[in-house]
Amino acid sequence: MAYLVTFHWGWLLASLLLGLAMGWIAVVHRGQGVSKRISRWLAVLAAALVAAALARAIPGRPGYWLDLGLVMFAPYLFGCAVGSWLRDWALSRSTPAA
Amino acid sequence: MHGLFRWSSKWWPGVVPLVVFWAIAAWSNTMPLESDLAARAGAALKDTVLDKTRIAVNGRDVTFAADAFSEDGRRSAVTSVDAVPGVRLVNDETRLVPEAKPFVWTAERDVVRVTLGGSAPLPASKGRLLEAARADLGGVEVVDQMNLSRGAPPRFDNAALLLLDQIAKLKDGKVTISDDKISLAGMARDLGGREAIAAALKNLPEGFSVAANEIKAPPYIFQAYKDPVAVTLTLTGYVPDNNVHAAIAAAAARKFFSEKVVDNLKASVGAPSGFAAAVVPALGALSRLSTGTLVVSDREVKLSGDAFFDAAAAQIRSGLPKEFPQGFQLKADISVKPAVAPVDATVCQQLFSELLAKGKIRFESGRASIDPDSAGLLDRLTETALRCPTADIEIAGHTDADGEDAFNQALSEKRAQAVMDYLVKAGLPAGRFTATGYGSTQPVASNDTDEGKAQNRRIDFLVR
Repeated sequence: MAYLVTFHWGWLLASLLLGLAMGWIAVVHRGQGVSKRISRWLAVLAAALVAAALARAIPGRPGYWLDLGLVMFAPYLFGCAVGSWLRDWALSRSTPAA
Repeated sequence: MHGLFRWSSKWWPGVVPLVVFWAIAAWSNTMPLESDLAARAGAALKDTVLDKTRIAVNGRDVTFAADAFSEDGRRSAVTSVDAVPGVRLVNDETRLVPEAKPFVWTAERDVVRVTLGGSAPLPASKGRLLEAARADLGGVEVVDQMNLSRGAPPRFDNAALLLLDQIAKLKDGKVTISDDKISLAGMARDLGGREAIAAALKNLPEGFSVAANEIKAPPYIFQAYKDPVAVTLTLTGYVPDNNVHAAIAAAAARKFFSEKVVDNLKASVGAPSGFAAAVVPALGALSRLSTGTLVVSDREVKLSGDAFFDAAAAQIRSGLPKEFPQGFQLKADISVKPAVAPVDATVCQQLFSELLAKGKIRFESGRASIDPDSAGLLDRLTETALRCPTADIEIAGHTDADGEDAFNQALSEKRAQAVMDYLVKAGLPAGRFTATGYGSTQPVASNDTDEGKAQNRRIDFLVR
């Protein structure tokens, strides 16, 4: 894990920034969100992929690509969360409480 | 928290560029990551003794194949590769080096190269053996055909290094270590090499023993070449010691009355017993040849050349082997020199006088038996007599003035008769010769000195 982070830190940073940006936008986005049903499935899929990675079930290069994808997805999610939270905080400061 | 769930339903559009990033990262980083992991795995194995190490990286999975020299070594090698940061899985394809039973190592030498074969216990000892072979055998090509195997006896390296030292003393041959048994075969390079090797084998490491030592010594060679053009006798090869050397040189000087003796003999151990007793009569036979070569190789005596006449060739062939000590064998290749053109009586007399001026026919002291040392001279005289077939020859015997006249008279007659008998035995008609004894009545020098007496004791050939 530590090796993966050190080796790909540039890409992880890019994912984090992408997540921050996406999180920042998501708070004021007017478009359609993912339905609860689909998001539950997506969560199950993510959990399955993490389980496959931890179990080292996929051999060779595909296994490495899975690890890489998950390792990039994690800072993205973190970035999204932080970005959304920051935007929300910024909005609540600029608009006086109604 | 509730907000986070609400916002998260709108995070998905970012996944599209994230997937693009992921694809680019995977495409560009796979190869560098694999080569980095391969380098790290290689570095982790640097201090482990392995053979045929092969590391293949696929993603983060390492396929590791190698031959290890012990089970512990094999396990620790796999553990070190597994512990390399970033390695996800190790496909263990390591195995133990096969065990050799019996554990055989060989070193074989021919003229131009030394081949090391069989099994060596570890790469390091293999390297050490090759290095030692190159150092011991400067200038000789060293060929490595050694495999690595387990099961070497303890102190194998020391034994093999000692044997490599011995290979340097061989001209050709083979040494073998089979478990703790050592066998040697071949030919020593120098006289005494066999003995040196046998002495060195006493220092073998504990536990090793010599099963067979079939090192042969090179043949003990003595050579003599009679050159009629340069009028020399060249002696080369070996003699056992200085006493034998002096005896052979003295015999050569007596037997070769007109040739200059070129003595290139060297003293060395390893002579067959009875060496001098065989060489001296063989030199006598060589002195009876007009041109010839004598080669004594261990107990085989090769004599080749041209005798002066048929009877001489036959006498040498049948008589020489009887004079040899037991065990010596004669291989004679003796032809007869073509007859020389006849000359008239005057020239014949001149030739006799020249020969007798160079050498004297010797007899045993006070007796009429011809000394074998004079055979060469008598053969030359016979050849000369054959050249003037029409001339009658008087063989005149003379003595010094010591002793009674009657005895001297009788002795001179018997000696002249002995010489005549020799010529007749050589095939000349008895009717051509008269043997006369003059006692001490015709001195050619003073009888007061030993030198003068020696000159007066003589046989003369007079053509009538």
